[in-house]
Amino acid sequence: MLCVNFFLFRVVETDPLANMFRGRQVPDEVIDRLRSQFGLDQPLGTQFLLYLKETFSLNMGVSYRSRNEVWDEIVSRIPATVALVGTSAVFSAIFGTLGGIVAGWRRNTWKDHSITSSTMVLYSVPEFWLGMLFLLVFAVSLGWFPIGGMYTAGSNATGIAHIADYLRHLFLPALTLTLAYLGEYTLVTRSSLLEVMNEDYLTVARAKGLRDLKVRNAHALPNALLPIVTLAAINLGYILSGAIAVEAVFSWPGLGQATANALQGPDFPMLQGLFLVFSASIIFFNFVSDVLYVYLDPRVEEV
Amino acid sequence: MRRFLVLAVVALLAFSVVPAAVAQEDDTVTIRVGNTQDWETLNPTWGYLVSEWEVWNNQYEGLTTRDENLEIAPGLAESWDGSDDGLTYTYTLRDGLTWSDGEPITADDVVWTIETSKEQEWENYVYFTQYLTVTALDERTVQVTSSIPTPQLPDMGFIILPKHIWEPLGDADGVASHDGTDGVGSGPFVLAPDGFQDQQAVTMVANPNWYGWEGEEPPVDQIIFRHFENSDAMVAALESGEIDAAHNVPAAAVENLESNEDIEVVIGYQGTIEEIAVNGGAGPAQPHPALLDVEVRRAMGHAIDKQALIEDLWYGHAQEGVTFLPSVDRKWMPEFTDEEKFNFDPDLANQMLDEGGYLDSDGDGIREMPDGTNPIVIRHLVNTNEALAAQYGDLLVGWMGAIGIGVELEAMDSDQLGTAIIEGNYDTFAWGWTPGVDPDGMLSSFIADEIEGWNDANWVDERYDELYLQQIEELDEDTRIEQVHEMMKIFHEGATYISVLETPEIQAYRTDGFEGWVRQPAEDGPIMYSTTSPSYAALQPVGGGGGDDGGVNWLLIGGVAAVAVVAGVFVATRRRGTADERE
Repeated sequence: MLCVNFFLFRVVETDPLANMFRGRQVPDEVIDRLRSQFGLDQPLGTQFLLYLKETFSLNMGVSYRSRNEVWDEIVSRIPATVALVGTSAVFSAIFGTLGGIVAGWRRNTWKDHSITSSTMVLYSVPEFWLGMLFLLVFAVSLGWFPIGGMYTAGSNATGIAHIADYLRHLFLPALTLTLAYLGEYTLVTRSSLLEVMNEDYLTVARAKGLRDLKVRNAHALPNALLPIVTLAAINLGYILSGAIAVEAVFSWPGLGQATANALQGPDFPMLQGLFLVFSASIIFFNFVSDVLYVYLDPRVEEV
Repeated sequence: MRRFLVLAVVALLAFSVVPAAVAQEDDTVTIRVGNTQDWETLNPTWGYLVSEWEVWNNQYEGLTTRDENLEIAPGLAESWDGSDDGLTYTYTLRDGLTWSDGEPITADDVVWTIETSKEQEWENYVYFTQYLTVTALDERTVQVTSSIPTPQLPDMGFIILPKHIWEPLGDADGVASHDGTDGVGSGPFVLAPDGFQDQQAVTMVANPNWYGWEGEEPPVDQIIFRHFENSDAMVAALESGEIDAAHNVPAAAVENLESNEDIEVVIGYQGTIEEIAVNGGAGPAQPHPALLDVEVRRAMGHAIDKQALIEDLWYGHAQEGVTFLPSVDRKWMPEFTDEEKFNFDPDLANQMLDEGGYLDSDGDGIREMPDGTNPIVIRHLVNTNEALAAQYGDLLVGWMGAIGIGVELEAMDSDQLGTAIIEGNYDTFAWGWTPGVDPDGMLSSFIADEIEGWNDANWVDERYDELYLQQIEELDEDTRIEQVHEMMKIFHEGATYISVLETPEIQAYRTDGFEGWVRQPAEDGPIMYSTTSPSYAALQPVGGGGGDDGGVNWLLIGGVAAVAVVAGVFVATRRRGTADERE
């Protein structure tokens, strides 16, 4: 993974400094000094070894664009991204699953059709388009929400007022992402519920004279929801990767925006740092989902 | 499901009302400016983004500045005297200057800034300070000596930094890694404490110590620069009044904004051009051999319909140019006659190519070299980082096709393109330039020494280089202007920049917010993000009031509370219902 991380961004031969200094009056010696300071005058092999060494000592280097520690840059943006993508991941999991349960249990009714088709539409619609639409309707026409950003710029509100301001800015982007992710959960839940519904033990449960709701909640769901655990864990892994499109529409200063900026340099240390964090979080949550499975599914035995 | 819907509606309403209660009404007069670029650093020794310069233009002063006509004007220095040889200037600082934190501004700050910038090679300074030596004659007087004669003096526009803040940072690394958020400056507005957070806004407050207020109360207390990642969202914010002015408005939005009576659109020119450049062949790699014939390049110029480019890509908000502009200041650009310009005339272009012997001998619609071989198919590099580059490419294919020249498009990002240009490994590309005030920077890009450097025309001319060396030392401005004019004619005749558009900064402001915007250059320049951004210190709130209302809408809050109560009752009863059903 470290190899991919390093070479992926260097497949295209580019000179980040040439881009940085285009059209500026800076003597060549100064540019050369900076090039050697960034280690860009070394052969690629040497650069790679240096990168490995520094990464293992948990030093991600200094961003070319901001000249701050990459780690500090990333950490400062994590809260924004986790708040946005995390909130939507949780809400979409909850509401998507609920929708899937209703649709699956009442399949081929108008409820099923309306839930399935509306979540399918939301799932297929491009996120930035949906975001732009919400922006135009709720922020511009109705004026209920601010047009982008994370806080009211220049506000010196503190305490509750500050939090309320933050939530108000968070609402539209989080709503956009929640709706966009909803479809996955609904469809997976619905189909896995349909699968269990034909199982014999459900017939037995009904034969015992249990209420329909009891059959659904106590007998069908625990089995049907297993795939949702996997899906949720995978999605949680992607929380840190941010949401480039939605962050762009709402000017949300998260890791997605940082990635988009770093690509235009290219800011190698920043990109490497970002992708390292992204992959680490995905690996971590996959691991968590595997562990959870052991507890949730008796068929998977601890070895 | 229904209860979730109710809850969602309650949440929606609650969130939308809270802010009204949050926005406390105070008397702070704030101007909000939207911009589509973020900030990487606020360190003026090396930062380079336009958004960052806008902050420094407010926070700092040099010894001199530029007025709205771009003439050198007093900054921290109230006056200066030059020696006859033009090598030595003596500047006298204004009386009683202080930094925004109350420390006095002295000759010592000037000396420290210039000497340290040389010693530590600050990227934004060395070009200006490398030949200067400076001594403090007393608290308010500095003597600046240049080791080479230069017409750029007495301009001393670079930022003088507060020594008491910057010296303790230590060596070059210490200075470079400073984030510039100390907020101590000499200009009309300085960064507020915690004014730079989260990459989404920069807040600046009026500096009561700025000499320009002349002891009066500043009419504007606060500037907030807001970053919008999405320019359509920025335009929407301007329309809704969330911001008072916007920079980098998309050309497509101009017509709509102009129909809004509360909004004024400014199409501001400051020397920015977009060119289609042909490889002149002086680089390491060679273009198609036909392009080495200057007549072919000129013919290509005549085949390009600049008016169509303006209409199609800029919605009419750009103007035809001739060649690059050496300076924001028009005086450095000569007049060109109609014969000299490459006006759109495909018939003429075809005739020129016919006369040069470039005929389509095999009848496939593509001309060949005069010996009948090597069809003229050129490689046009499309810069994927430039919004309009792809359309440029498509249009070029059509225009060149009309004169029997084939075009192959190749997409590259700006780094790759930069490398290809340096190597001379291309036939044509489209890109742009923005000049400074002194023409030296732009002119120096096309000398022979800059091949494999900034010379993106890959073109050289002996006379051009000779004149370049003359003008760089010419102290008489009229003579220097003549020399520069001749250089511009020579470059244009070389026909490497075959199509040039002068492209504007499109900005807009609300007329119900602030008045007193200053264009720079005065006749057709932008009102913000210009050479020295003089607008902010000149702005006055319209009608003298702050403008925004933040009254609490108790009626709405009451309504929301009522809805919440009803929803709560509803949810509670539903709960009981389900509890009853439990076995």
